[in-house]
Amino acid sequence: MQDFHAVVKKVPKNTIYMNKGISIIKIYYIFLQIGAILLGGGYVILPMLVSELCSKRRLIDSEELINYFTLSQSLPGIVAANISMFIGYKFRGKLGAFAAMLGVITIPFLSIVVLASLLKNLVDNQYVNGMFWGIGFAVIALIILTVREVWQKTNRNGFFYLIFLTSLIALLIFKMSPVDVILIFCIIGVIIKTLFRKRDA
Amino acid sequence: MIYLLLAYEFLKIGLFSFGGGYATIPFLYDIAMRHGWYTVRELTNMTAVASITPGPVGINVATYAGVNTAGILGGVVATISEIIPSFILVIIVSKLLRKYSDNFYVKSLVETLRPIGCSLLVAVAVGLIKPELGDIEGIILLAVLLILSWKSKKSPLFYMLIGGLVGIIRVMI
Repeated sequence: MQDFHAVVKKVPKNTIYMNKGISIIKIYYIFLQIGAILLGGGYVILPMLVSELCSKRRLIDSEELINYFTLSQSLPGIVAANISMFIGYKFRGKLGAFAAMLGVITIPFLSIVVLASLLKNLVDNQYVNGMFWGIGFAVIALIILTVREVWQKTNRNGFFYLIFLTSLIALLIFKMSPVDVILIFCIIGVIIKTLFRKRDA
Repeated sequence: MIYLLLAYEFLKIGLFSFGGGYATIPFLYDIAMRHGWYTVRELTNMTAVASITPGPVGINVATYAGVNTAGILGGVVATISEIIPSFILVIIVSKLLRKYSDNFYVKSLVETLRPIGCSLLVAVAVGLIKPELGDIEGIILLAVLLILSWKSKKSPLFYMLIGGLVGIIRVMI
Protein backbone atom coordinates (compact mmCIF):
# COMPACT_ATOMS: atom_id res chain seq x y z
CA MET A 1 0.00 0.00 0.00
CA GLN A 2 2.83 2.33 0.86
CA ASP A 3 4.47 1.62 -2.48
CA PHE A 4 1.26 2.42 -4.24
CA HIS A 5 1.12 5.87 -2.63
CA ALA A 6 4.73 6.52 -3.48
CA VAL A 7 3.96 5.80 -7.10
CA VAL A 8 0.86 7.96 -7.16
CA LYS A 9 2.73 10.87 -5.63
CA LYS A 10 5.38 10.72 -8.33
CA VAL A 11 2.90 10.98 -11.16
CA PRO A 12 3.14 14.49 -12.61
CA LYS A 13 -0.03 16.53 -12.78
CA ASN A 14 -0.12 16.37 -16.59
CA THR A 15 -0.95 12.72 -16.33
CA ILE A 16 -4.61 13.35 -15.61
CA TYR A 17 -4.91 14.22 -19.27
CA MET A 18 -3.13 11.10 -20.39
CA ASN A 19 -5.12 9.06 -22.81
CA LYS A 20 -6.47 5.63 -22.15
CA GLY A 21 -4.54 4.38 -25.17
CA ILE A 22 -5.34 6.60 -28.12
CA SER A 23 -5.04 4.52 -31.28
CA ILE A 24 -2.61 5.17 -34.13
CA ILE A 25 -5.53 5.58 -36.51
CA LYS A 26 -7.10 8.15 -34.21
CA ILE A 27 -3.82 10.10 -34.13
CA TYR A 28 -3.67 9.99 -37.92
CA TYR A 29 -7.28 11.13 -38.18
CA ILE A 30 -6.89 14.03 -35.73
CA PHE A 31 -3.86 15.36 -37.61
CA LEU A 32 -5.50 14.71 -40.97
CA GLN A 33 -8.27 17.10 -39.90
CA ILE A 34 -5.79 19.65 -38.61
CA GLY A 35 -3.78 19.51 -41.84
CA ALA A 36 -6.92 20.06 -43.89
CA ILE A 37 -7.83 23.35 -42.21
CA LEU A 38 -4.32 24.73 -41.92
CA LEU A 39 -4.71 27.90 -43.95
CA GLY A 40 -2.65 31.03 -43.62
CA GLY A 41 0.72 29.74 -42.49
CA GLY A 42 2.13 27.13 -40.15
CA TYR A 43 1.60 29.05 -36.91
CA VAL A 44 -2.17 28.49 -37.21
CA ILE A 45 -1.49 24.95 -36.08
CA LEU A 46 -1.10 26.11 -32.47
CA PRO A 47 -4.66 27.49 -32.13
CA MET A 48 -5.92 24.37 -33.92
CA LEU A 49 -4.07 22.10 -31.51
CA VAL A 50 -5.25 24.03 -28.45
CA SER A 51 -8.84 23.81 -29.65
CA GLU A 52 -8.72 20.18 -30.75
CA LEU A 53 -6.41 18.55 -28.18
CA CYS A 54 -6.80 20.74 -25.08
CA SER A 55 -10.35 22.09 -25.12
CA LYS A 56 -12.27 19.45 -27.05
CA ARG A 57 -10.53 16.15 -26.39
CA ARG A 58 -8.55 16.98 -23.22
CA LEU A 59 -5.63 14.86 -24.35
CA ILE A 60 -2.89 17.29 -23.37
CA ASP A 61 -2.70 20.52 -21.38
CA SER A 62 -1.73 23.84 -22.90
CA GLU A 63 1.42 24.15 -20.76
CA GLU A 64 2.81 20.99 -22.30
CA LEU A 65 1.73 22.11 -25.76
CA ILE A 66 3.73 25.32 -25.32
CA ASN A 67 6.78 23.27 -24.37
CA TYR A 68 6.47 21.34 -27.63
CA PHE A 69 5.97 24.61 -29.51
CA THR A 70 9.30 25.90 -28.17
CA LEU A 71 11.09 22.62 -28.87
CA SER A 72 9.66 22.58 -32.41
CA GLN A 73 11.15 25.98 -33.14
CA SER A 74 14.53 25.01 -31.77
CA LEU A 75 14.80 22.11 -34.22
CA PRO A 76 15.33 22.45 -37.98
CA GLY A 77 12.50 21.74 -40.37
CA ILE A 78 8.87 22.80 -40.56
CA VAL A 79 7.50 23.94 -37.19
CA ALA A 80 3.99 22.60 -37.82
CA ALA A 81 5.32 19.15 -38.72
CA ASN A 82 7.71 19.14 -35.76
CA ILE A 83 5.03 19.94 -33.20
CA SER A 84 2.72 17.29 -34.70
CA MET A 85 5.46 14.69 -34.37
CA PHE A 86 6.22 15.66 -30.74
CA ILE A 87 2.56 15.20 -29.85
CA GLY A 88 2.29 11.97 -31.82
CA TYR A 89 5.35 10.68 -29.95
CA LYS A 90 3.85 11.64 -26.62
CA PHE A 91 0.74 9.57 -27.38
CA ARG A 92 2.20 6.48 -29.00
CA GLY A 93 5.98 6.70 -29.41
CA LYS A 94 7.67 6.48 -32.80
CA LEU A 95 4.65 5.08 -34.58
CA GLY A 96 2.52 7.86 -33.13
CA ALA A 97 4.97 10.47 -34.36
CA PHE A 98 4.91 8.86 -37.80
CA ALA A 99 1.11 8.77 -37.87
CA ALA A 100 0.88 12.44 -36.82
CA MET A 101 3.41 13.43 -39.48
CA LEU A 102 1.62 11.51 -42.23
CA GLY A 103 -1.73 12.86 -41.06
CA VAL A 104 -0.72 16.49 -41.10
CA ILE A 105 0.78 16.30 -44.61
CA THR A 106 -1.83 14.10 -46.34
CA ILE A 107 -4.34 16.78 -47.35
CA PRO A 108 -1.67 19.43 -48.11
CA PHE A 109 0.09 16.89 -50.34
CA LEU A 110 -3.06 15.89 -52.19
CA SER A 111 -4.18 19.46 -52.59
CA ILE A 112 -0.89 20.36 -54.26
CA VAL A 113 -0.89 17.29 -56.50
CA VAL A 114 -4.53 17.68 -57.52
CA LEU A 115 -5.12 21.41 -57.37
CA ALA A 116 -1.80 23.10 -58.03
CA SER A 117 -2.33 23.42 -61.78
CA LEU A 118 -5.84 24.79 -61.24
CA LEU A 119 -4.81 27.13 -58.44
CA LYS A 120 -2.05 28.66 -60.55
CA ASN A 121 -4.68 30.78 -62.24
CA LEU A 122 -6.35 31.70 -58.95
CA VAL A 123 -3.32 33.33 -57.39
CA ASP A 124 -4.10 36.64 -59.06
CA ASN A 125 -7.86 36.35 -58.64
CA GLN A 126 -9.22 39.31 -56.69
CA TYR A 127 -11.78 37.25 -54.73
CA VAL A 128 -9.15 34.72 -53.68
CA ASN A 129 -6.88 37.56 -52.64
CA GLY A 130 -9.78 39.15 -50.75
CA MET A 131 -10.49 35.88 -49.00
CA PHE A 132 -6.88 35.53 -47.90
CA TRP A 133 -6.83 39.13 -46.73
CA GLY A 134 -9.65 38.22 -44.34
CA ILE A 135 -8.12 34.89 -43.35
CA GLY A 136 -4.91 36.76 -42.53
CA PHE A 137 -6.72 38.80 -39.89
CA ALA A 138 -8.57 35.72 -38.64
CA VAL A 139 -5.17 34.11 -38.08
CA ILE A 140 -3.99 37.14 -36.09
CA ALA A 141 -7.15 36.94 -33.97
CA LEU A 142 -6.54 33.22 -33.39
CA ILE A 143 -2.95 33.78 -32.33
CA ILE A 144 -3.96 36.56 -29.91
CA LEU A 145 -6.68 34.36 -28.40
CA THR A 146 -4.21 31.52 -28.03
CA VAL A 147 -1.72 33.79 -26.26
CA ARG A 148 -4.51 34.78 -23.88
CA GLU A 149 -5.65 31.20 -23.25
CA VAL A 150 -2.14 29.87 -22.70
CA TRP A 151 -1.34 32.81 -20.44
CA GLN A 152 -4.37 32.15 -18.24
CA LYS A 153 -3.60 28.46 -17.89
CA THR A 154 0.09 28.83 -17.14
CA ASN A 155 1.56 28.82 -13.66
CA ARG A 156 3.51 32.03 -13.44
CA ASN A 157 6.15 32.69 -10.80
CA GLY A 158 9.08 35.06 -10.59
CA PHE A 159 11.22 32.76 -12.69
CA PHE A 160 8.54 32.66 -15.41
CA TYR A 161 8.30 36.46 -15.61
CA LEU A 162 12.07 36.87 -15.62
CA ILE A 163 12.59 34.50 -18.55
CA PHE A 164 9.45 35.65 -20.37
CA LEU A 165 10.30 39.37 -20.26
CA THR A 166 14.00 39.07 -21.03
CA SER A 167 13.45 36.66 -23.93
CA LEU A 168 10.68 38.87 -25.28
CA ILE A 169 13.03 41.86 -25.24
CA ALA A 170 15.65 39.77 -27.05
CA LEU A 171 13.10 38.82 -29.72
CA LEU A 172 11.33 42.14 -30.24
CA ILE A 173 13.92 44.79 -29.47
CA PHE A 174 17.19 43.05 -30.28
CA LYS A 175 15.56 41.09 -33.14
CA MET A 176 17.35 37.90 -32.23
CA SER A 177 16.32 34.78 -34.12
CA PRO A 178 14.03 32.34 -32.27
CA VAL A 179 16.62 29.56 -32.43
CA ASP A 180 19.28 31.75 -30.76
CA VAL A 181 16.79 32.95 -28.14
CA ILE A 182 15.75 29.40 -27.27
CA LEU A 183 19.35 28.21 -27.00
CA ILE A 184 20.59 31.13 -24.94
CA PHE A 185 17.63 31.34 -22.58
CA CYS A 186 17.50 27.60 -21.99
CA ILE A 187 21.09 27.81 -20.79
CA ILE A 188 20.33 30.90 -18.67
CA GLY A 189 17.24 29.21 -17.23
CA VAL A 190 19.08 26.07 -16.21
CA ILE A 191 21.90 28.15 -14.66
CA ILE A 192 19.43 30.21 -12.62
CA LYS A 193 17.64 27.08 -11.44
CA THR A 194 20.96 25.49 -10.49
CA LEU A 195 22.09 28.54 -8.51
CA PHE A 196 18.83 28.61 -6.58
CA ARG A 197 19.01 24.91 -5.86
CA LYS A 198 22.45 25.34 -4.32
CA ARG A 199 21.21 28.18 -2.18
CA ASP A 200 18.31 26.05 -0.94
CA ALA A 201 20.60 23.19 0.00
CA MET B 1 18.94 9.48 -60.84
CA ILE B 2 16.63 12.41 -60.34
CA TYR B 3 14.90 10.95 -57.24
CA LEU B 4 18.16 10.48 -55.36
CA LEU B 5 19.21 14.00 -56.20
CA LEU B 6 15.80 15.32 -55.08
CA ALA B 7 16.06 13.36 -51.84
CA TYR B 8 19.55 14.71 -51.21
CA GLU B 9 18.57 18.35 -51.82
CA PHE B 10 15.43 18.17 -49.66
CA LEU B 11 17.16 16.28 -46.84
CA LYS B 12 19.55 19.23 -46.73
CA ILE B 13 16.64 21.67 -46.52
CA GLY B 14 15.05 19.64 -43.73
CA LEU B 15 18.30 19.57 -41.80
CA PHE B 16 19.44 23.17 -42.21
CA SER B 17 16.33 25.36 -42.40
CA PHE B 18 15.30 26.88 -39.09
CA GLY B 19 12.18 28.92 -38.51
CA GLY B 20 9.44 27.29 -40.52
CA GLY B 21 8.08 27.53 -44.04
CA TYR B 22 9.45 30.72 -45.47
CA ALA B 23 12.95 29.85 -44.24
CA THR B 24 13.05 27.12 -46.89
CA ILE B 25 12.61 29.57 -49.79
CA PRO B 26 16.28 30.63 -50.01
CA PHE B 27 17.25 26.95 -50.28
CA LEU B 28 14.71 26.41 -53.05
CA TYR B 29 16.05 29.47 -54.81
CA ASP B 30 19.52 27.98 -54.60
CA ILE B 31 18.21 24.71 -56.09
CA ALA B 32 16.64 26.62 -58.98
CA MET B 33 19.99 28.25 -59.67
CA ARG B 34 22.06 25.06 -59.53
CA HIS B 35 19.79 22.41 -61.02
CA GLY B 36 17.37 24.38 -63.16
CA TRP B 37 14.52 22.06 -62.11
CA TYR B 38 12.27 25.11 -62.12
CA THR B 39 12.81 28.78 -62.79
CA VAL B 40 12.83 31.53 -60.19
CA ARG B 41 9.58 32.82 -61.68
CA GLU B 42 8.03 29.37 -61.18
CA LEU B 43 9.27 29.36 -57.60
CA THR B 44 7.45 32.64 -56.93
CA ASN B 45 4.26 31.08 -58.33
CA MET B 46 4.78 27.96 -56.25
CA THR B 47 5.12 30.00 -53.07
CA ALA B 48 1.93 31.89 -53.89
CA VAL B 49 0.02 28.66 -54.57
CA ALA B 50 1.48 27.07 -51.44
CA SER B 51 0.06 29.85 -49.33
CA ILE B 52 -3.48 29.40 -50.68
CA THR B 53 -3.60 25.62 -50.23
CA PRO B 54 -4.08 24.04 -46.82
CA GLY B 55 -0.96 22.98 -44.96
CA PRO B 56 2.34 24.43 -43.78
CA VAL B 57 3.90 26.53 -46.55
CA GLY B 58 7.26 24.75 -46.27
CA ILE B 59 5.66 21.35 -46.90
CA ASN B 60 3.49 22.65 -49.73
CA VAL B 61 6.38 24.28 -51.58
CA ALA B 62 8.47 21.13 -51.22
CA THR B 63 5.65 19.00 -52.62
CA TYR B 64 5.08 21.45 -55.45
CA ALA B 65 8.76 21.66 -56.35
CA GLY B 66 9.05 17.87 -56.28
CA VAL B 67 5.96 17.37 -58.46
CA ASN B 68 7.19 20.03 -60.84
CA THR B 69 10.56 18.34 -61.15
CA ALA B 70 9.75 14.65 -61.30
CA GLY B 71 6.00 14.06 -61.14
CA ILE B 72 3.97 12.72 -58.21
CA LEU B 73 6.73 10.38 -57.04
CA GLY B 74 9.05 13.37 -57.06
CA GLY B 75 6.58 15.16 -54.80
CA VAL B 76 6.54 12.22 -52.38
CA VAL B 77 10.34 12.03 -52.32
CA ALA B 78 10.78 15.78 -51.77
CA THR B 79 8.15 16.02 -49.02
CA ILE B 80 9.29 12.96 -47.07
CA SER B 81 12.97 13.90 -47.42
CA GLU B 82 12.30 17.34 -46.03
CA ILE B 83 10.61 15.92 -42.92
CA ILE B 84 12.88 12.94 -42.18
CA PRO B 85 15.71 14.88 -40.46
CA SER B 86 13.34 16.57 -38.02
CA PHE B 87 11.43 13.29 -37.54
CA ILE B 88 14.63 11.68 -36.30
CA LEU B 89 15.52 14.69 -34.15
CA VAL B 90 12.03 14.87 -32.62
CA ILE B 91 12.26 11.21 -31.64
CA ILE B 92 15.73 11.60 -30.13
CA VAL B 93 14.72 14.71 -28.16
CA SER B 94 11.46 13.12 -26.98
CA LYS B 95 13.29 9.98 -25.90
CA LEU B 96 15.92 11.91 -23.98
CA LEU B 97 13.32 14.10 -22.27
CA ARG B 98 11.33 11.03 -21.26
CA LYS B 99 14.36 9.04 -20.11
CA TYR B 100 15.80 11.85 -17.99
CA SER B 101 12.52 13.38 -16.85
CA ASP B 102 13.60 13.02 -13.21
CA ASN B 103 16.95 14.67 -13.77
CA PHE B 104 17.21 18.12 -12.19
CA TYR B 105 18.73 19.79 -15.24
CA VAL B 106 16.18 18.33 -17.63
CA LYS B 107 13.39 19.45 -15.31
CA SER B 108 14.82 22.97 -15.22
CA LEU B 109 15.12 22.94 -18.99
CA VAL B 110 11.48 21.93 -19.41
CA GLU B 111 10.39 24.63 -16.96
CA THR B 112 12.37 27.18 -18.96
CA LEU B 113 10.73 26.15 -22.23
CA ARG B 114 7.32 27.48 -21.16
CA PRO B 115 8.14 31.17 -20.58
CA ILE B 116 10.23 31.14 -23.77
CA GLY B 117 7.30 29.59 -25.65
CA CYS B 118 5.00 32.33 -24.38
CA SER B 119 7.37 35.05 -25.53
CA LEU B 120 7.82 33.35 -28.93
CA LEU B 121 4.05 33.30 -29.29
CA VAL B 122 3.73 36.98 -28.34
CA ALA B 123 6.51 37.77 -30.83
CA VAL B 124 4.62 35.89 -33.56
CA ALA B 125 1.49 37.91 -32.80
CA VAL B 126 3.44 41.19 -32.86
CA GLY B 127 5.21 40.17 -36.08
CA LEU B 128 1.90 39.39 -37.76
CA ILE B 129 0.06 42.51 -36.65
CA LYS B 130 2.78 45.11 -37.13
CA PRO B 131 2.75 45.32 -40.94
CA GLU B 132 -1.09 45.45 -40.92
CA LEU B 133 -1.50 48.38 -38.55
CA GLY B 134 -2.12 50.77 -41.45
CA ASP B 135 -5.00 48.65 -42.73
CA ILE B 136 -7.96 50.24 -40.90
CA GLU B 137 -10.58 47.85 -42.32
CA GLY B 138 -8.46 44.87 -41.35
CA ILE B 139 -7.95 46.16 -37.82
CA ILE B 140 -11.71 46.64 -37.48
CA LEU B 141 -12.25 43.05 -38.65
CA LEU B 142 -9.67 41.89 -36.12
CA ALA B 143 -11.32 43.88 -33.33
CA VAL B 144 -14.76 42.45 -34.19
CA LEU B 145 -13.40 38.90 -34.21
CA LEU B 146 -11.75 39.43 -30.83
CA ILE B 147 -14.87 41.01 -29.28
CA LEU B 148 -17.06 38.18 -30.63
CA SER B 149 -14.97 35.66 -28.81
CA TRP B 150 -13.75 37.40 -25.69
CA LYS B 151 -16.32 35.62 -23.51
CA SER B 152 -16.20 32.22 -25.15
CA LYS B 153 -13.73 31.00 -27.72
CA LYS B 154 -15.12 29.45 -30.87
CA SER B 155 -13.62 26.84 -33.17
CA PRO B 156 -10.67 28.07 -35.27
CA LEU B 157 -12.70 27.32 -38.41
CA PHE B 158 -15.27 29.92 -37.32
CA TYR B 159 -12.70 32.72 -37.49
CA MET B 160 -11.29 31.55 -40.83
CA LEU B 161 -14.79 31.35 -42.35
CA ILE B 162 -15.83 34.79 -41.10
CA GLY B 163 -12.49 36.28 -42.16
CA GLY B 164 -12.66 34.68 -45.61
CA LEU B 165 -16.29 35.73 -46.17
CA VAL B 166 -15.69 39.30 -45.05
CA GLY B 167 -12.68 39.40 -47.36
CA ILE B 168 -14.75 38.27 -50.37
CA ILE B 169 -17.61 40.66 -49.57
CA ARG B 170 -15.11 43.49 -49.21
CA VAL B 171 -13.92 42.89 -52.79
CA MET B 172 -17.50 42.77 -54.09
CA ILE B 173 -18.64 46.10 -52.62
